[in-house]
Amino acid sequence: MAETMDRKSFLDKDYTRRQFLKLSGKSLAGLALSSSLLSVLGVSEKAVAEDKVRVWAFPQGLLVVDADRCVGCQRCEINCTLTNDGCCSSYISRVKVTRNLYSSRNGQGLYTEDNWTYFPDTCRQCENPACGNACPMQAIYSDENGIRRVDTDKCIGCGACTAACPWHMPTVNPETHKSSKCIMCGACAEGCPSGALSIVPWDEIVSVSQAI
Amino acid sequence: MSVKNGINGWAGTIVRVNLSTGTITKEDTLPKYKPFIGGMGIGYKVIWDEVPLDADPLGPDAKCVFGVGPLTASGVPCSGRMNITLLSCWSKGYSIVDAHMGGHIAHAFKYAGYDAMIVEGQSDKPVYIKIDDDKVTIEDASHIWGKGTFEVNATLAKENGPEFDVASIGTAGENLVHMSNIVTSFGNSGGAGIGALLGSKKCKALVVRGTGAVKIAEPLKVRLLSNYMIKDLVGGNNNHTVPCHAQSWSEYVATNNRWQGAPGITWDKASKGPIDMGEQPSGQINVAALRCNKGVFDFGEIAEKYTVKQGGCSSCPVRCYTEYDMDPLAEYDLPTHVSNTCMPIIKMLEWYPNHKDANGESVPSTHDFVDEKDAKMILGGAGSRAADEYGVWCNYGNLYEDFNMAYTTGVLKDVADRLYPGEWDTIPWALMEAGDPRWVWECYRRISLGKGLFADLGLGTYELYQKWGMDDPEKNVAGINFYDFVNGKNFNIGHNGYPRHHGPENCWQAGTLYSMMYNRDCMIHHLINFCSSGAPYYDIIKPVLEHFFGEGCTDAQKKYTPINENKIKLAKWAFIGKQWHDSATLCNWMYPMTIATSKKRQYIGDLDLDAKYMSAVLGEEYTREDQERDSERISQLLRVITAISFKLNLGSTNLRKDHDHVSDWVFDKEPDFKAFDEGTVKLDREDWEKSLDMWYEALGWNKETGIPTRETLEKFDLAECADKLEELGLI
Repeated sequence: MAETMDRKSFLDKDYTRRQFLKLSGKSLAGLALSSSLLSVLGVSEKAVAEDKVRVWAFPQGLLVVDADRCVGCQRCEINCTLTNDGCCSSYISRVKVTRNLYSSRNGQGLYTEDNWTYFPDTCRQCENPACGNACPMQAIYSDENGIRRVDTDKCIGCGACTAACPWHMPTVNPETHKSSKCIMCGACAEGCPSGALSIVPWDEIVSVSQAI
Repeated sequence: MSVKNGINGWAGTIVRVNLSTGTITKEDTLPKYKPFIGGMGIGYKVIWDEVPLDADPLGPDAKCVFGVGPLTASGVPCSGRMNITLLSCWSKGYSIVDAHMGGHIAHAFKYAGYDAMIVEGQSDKPVYIKIDDDKVTIEDASHIWGKGTFEVNATLAKENGPEFDVASIGTAGENLVHMSNIVTSFGNSGGAGIGALLGSKKCKALVVRGTGAVKIAEPLKVRLLSNYMIKDLVGGNNNHTVPCHAQSWSEYVATNNRWQGAPGITWDKASKGPIDMGEQPSGQINVAALRCNKGVFDFGEIAEKYTVKQGGCSSCPVRCYTEYDMDPLAEYDLPTHVSNTCMPIIKMLEWYPNHKDANGESVPSTHDFVDEKDAKMILGGAGSRAADEYGVWCNYGNLYEDFNMAYTTGVLKDVADRLYPGEWDTIPWALMEAGDPRWVWECYRRISLGKGLFADLGLGTYELYQKWGMDDPEKNVAGINFYDFVNGKNFNIGHNGYPRHHGPENCWQAGTLYSMMYNRDCMIHHLINFCSSGAPYYDIIKPVLEHFFGEGCTDAQKKYTPINENKIKLAKWAFIGKQWHDSATLCNWMYPMTIATSKKRQYIGDLDLDAKYMSAVLGEEYTREDQERDSERISQLLRVITAISFKLNLGSTNLRKDHDHVSDWVFDKEPDFKAFDEGTVKLDREDWEKSLDMWYEALGWNKETGIPTRETLEKFDLAECADKLEELGLI
């Protein structure tokens, strides 16, 4: 898990720390959240109950993925690759919506019966990362903020990380033959025009949580 | 993959698929096609170089060119368009036309590493083309031949895998119905008869996966320019820059436009409960996609009830495809999931003209379904899904306007009795009279068959009017020339078989001039976008446009003025700008950024933005002058090809007379008004002839014939075009 100064002050509170350790990488379902916290996250109680909203802890705050707001424009992938790769691509993007747009592995997307369900997949920043564990070169390391990065000097582009990740989020760039994964830069959410991806700053969450 | 090519912007490769021989070859895009930008420009150069202009448009020599451009999938907003160039099988002169489609396939195609695909030859069995990065193959399509596009797209997506996008033709294309299209995503399509062309080649579909990247010289600059555009410039669909409902931050409120998002406007059918679109202030990126609500614009607030979300194209922050779940259609065993925009969905009531009851009284054929006045939406949804299912193209509305006019004037019945004895009684008119959504499905099904009364509608207006005598009062029972008919439903801009596309009715002489320049409807939105932006005319639109183009360049709605030089300047900017957009490719529904959302900019847009994007993507200076020079080159090529087609196929040597002739209704409507009176949009014949003189002069064309001069063509490095025109006696 990423640990920043902002987050530490927030996570010092036992109740919310416990709560958000559960939340991150999983879902909000089953958790009793105050209406003010729901409001800050921009989600409804019904959405939480039906497991329709996912959140991920980022240094800047909590990344909220709201599938209902995703309009399929792919700007998250565009901004990710413009920012991190100096090019424009879907395949090597660290956030992935295109593979859910047409006919996803879950049977959703424009060419399925469930036409209007498509949304971006994001890296879960797992506490126990399958990608890093599978890497034969130990090329995936945790930086000073707890963010897992690929050491491209070590990476041999074997794809073990892609195969090991349950969501196949790390991707070996066919051009550079190096793996890349989300480094939590936030460009995807910053450029999302519909609010399907949003980062709720920690201070807002702390503020609301203190009011609980 | 494009990155390997080391070229910024362009993918660098054109793939050629020969369906007769099964050979697949590749060639470099640059430098040959660089002067033609990409997309449409590549298409025009290929057709010019390779296709005899008297070739059968559905014969073995015919080709089509799928093209994208240097800005497609470059990260630039609204760069998700694909252009397909072909020879028309349906409009007067059988000359060059384009189909254009949005959705997501243009990005996939570019990421796969291609700027264009030339499809030539004819297969003797059903096939589809599969592009999997550098692997391009011709695959068997026997299992999907005869199927509708929704089933085909689902089948091919499933068979090929989650990362493959699909575009396919319907049974209309297979049956060589001229009014046919290719359908991708969900409701995105390209028309102009491309379905029939691909059908003639037995090519059912295109399947694409692209795992590559588009190389960008200055990625940060592209990102910053994109953010600037989304924050300060772009509004709703058609770049409507003023919200239609009051928002706390906005100085103005539009009376009606496509920026319908607002607090209280909701997506009621979102899976976890209604989503309120809220406010979308200028300057904020994360709400930009909530500005447009095309459903509410098209059908009123009743659309909220059935809205799941808003879709659209790759890279575009403006979502103009409302995605519906219209459950009233389930009662008729019809699909309830519907998505489309504009003409394919908003005017389906034209298939339901009033009918005569048992007493001979004219009575409406439609009724409310669940709520008051919801028929337009429910029948629109049914019709839109049906048209896409069969792969039928509406010719910007002419398809159903022709049906409506023929039915209501008695021409349809008379023609049926004369040409198709016995068929009339097999048609389930009771469905039409009952306002049943299955009627519009039946109309499109019959058109798609390619045989029979309704299939004649699928010939397209030009051949339909000839066959049914609708182009001659002496030859039809109504005694009307339907090209010239003044009735509010005839939008044929000339006698060529296609309507105006925002022409004289709201864009004065300018819209009329560029509506005449193509061999299909013009698809130009440069002027209508600012006209309908919602910004006040005298406070913003007029001063901003005069800032760019000089005094008197625009007219207020229904307050037209005689032609002048600055109006011509504005019209030419729009005409050549359309070629730019379909070549770059950028969406002409959104660009250019003429009026801005930003008050701090005094609402002045940025007409240089496109060129700035090009410079940032390519890493070399590309100015607006470069953009306009290259776009005018393509425009000149369009005109040359049109002139040669008209000569070879019709024996015409004069485009002014035979191509640019405007229908009488443009001048004769609203007889109580004179042209240029306040309150009318009619034009004046004498002023129109003067407009043509000035237009030809501005474009360097012969005033008598409307054909480019040698001097003009040489200025654009098109001397070989001049040679060919000279050889044919056209200059």
